[in-house]
Amino acid sequence: MRLEDFGTFVIFAAIYAASTLGLPKLLFLAYHIEIGVIPTAFVAIFGLPAVFGLTLGQFIAGIGFQVTPIAMLSPAISFIGLLVVYYSRKFNTFAGCVVYVILTSLWLAYMLPIVSSTPPTLAAYSAFAGQSVAVIIGYLGYLIAVRKIVPKNAKIPSKY
Amino acid sequence: MEDAAAASHDTDHYEGSIWPALIAFATGSSAVGFFFLMKGIMLVAGILLLTASALILGGFLYSDTRNWSSTLSKLGRIPRDTVVGAFPVDINLTIQIIIMTELLLFGGAFAMYFAIREQVAIWPPPGTPVLDDLIARAQTLILISSSILVEWAIWQLKRGRMRAFKAGLIGTTMLGALFPILQFGFEWPHLILNNILTPATNFFGATFYLLTGIHGAHVLVGVIAYCYTDVRALMGQYSPKNHGFVEATSTYWHFVHIIWLFLFALMWQGGRVA
Repeated sequence: MRLEDFGTFVIFAAIYAASTLGLPKLLFLAYHIEIGVIPTAFVAIFGLPAVFGLTLGQFIAGIGFQVTPIAMLSPAISFIGLLVVYYSRKFNTFAGCVVYVILTSLWLAYMLPIVSSTPPTLAAYSAFAGQSVAVIIGYLGYLIAVRKIVPKNAKIPSKY
Repeated sequence: MEDAAAASHDTDHYEGSIWPALIAFATGSSAVGFFFLMKGIMLVAGILLLTASALILGGFLYSDTRNWSSTLSKLGRIPRDTVVGAFPVDINLTIQIIIMTELLLFGGAFAMYFAIREQVAIWPPPGTPVLDDLIARAQTLILISSSILVEWAIWQLKRGRMRAFKAGLIGTTMLGALFPILQFGFEWPHLILNNILTPATNFFGATFYLLTGIHGAHVLVGVIAYCYTDVRALMGQYSPKNHGFVEATSTYWHFVHIIWLFLFALMWQGGRVA
């Protein structure tokens, strides 16, 4: 990561942390959507600085709430998922997003009953639905960015 | 030719100088000396350390006085030479060193916070008010906006769109200036004058003012740096190939931004956790 990528890194960390800590909870039907997860697909455009930024943002958001050791593992799981999205940009970003949703949902479904005594089934459903909706919203934004905003001569993924 | 020779002479003069190491020692020993004196322990050692610091700084000022006139006369010309890696020094390396030292400073401050937090059974301690985070949220929004705006400005500069670059840079400065105005003009007076939270309230109050104060001072420095960068931009001293100083200032600003995120999480949101 070059020094000039520091800005991208910080902006993505800020978007995740500030939206999680500073914005009211966004509900879709009965599911809590993490706004910070929305930029996930943009990792395919902004690269590794965005991967590290979102991971750090998740860590910062974590220390703002009740700190439990298991909850602090979430950034590591998310980091693996974001790396999958980043490396999948060369063939299919959407597939990477699907892997991200599955990976983080499985982790949340395992963790939430331990941390917050949520019933396991409800935790699994709400985690999967919340993550899916957030990532899909972000993916739509990503498609618009790739097709309309990113300059024609810029390096963009070969497939959407 | 004469200028080149003079510059070469100055570089030779400072190359391998012992003064940076001595000044670093003097700074450290003065801090330890003050600590000894304020704590009332090892008074003689404290006085000796402070005397040593004063002697070193005095020696430096005495030895360097002869070069001041030439240094001052060059100040007006230095700004044009901030292409990354060029004279006066590699600006990238400089900002990396600055960020590392800042990281140590804030690392120490946060370590102090967590050490105190570990010693207290309940955090935040009983009697700590739940802070209204409206201003803190506004400050977070300001920092995010300013970080995005300065990155956009640099992006414009690299494409040679100078008007957009200047507008973005000045906008960043104005946004940045709002941060200390909100902190030192509204939030602190509100908390202190209404006796809601003062440094004497409890450990939380003390760490709150220490950490946000250090951070606020850094934001002020960032705003001053941006003002200087603005003046140079208006003088037309940047170009698509000459933007090292803008990059360095923005890197510093992003660093200050990320420290704020930790503070926001720990002081406002973390302060609500019983």
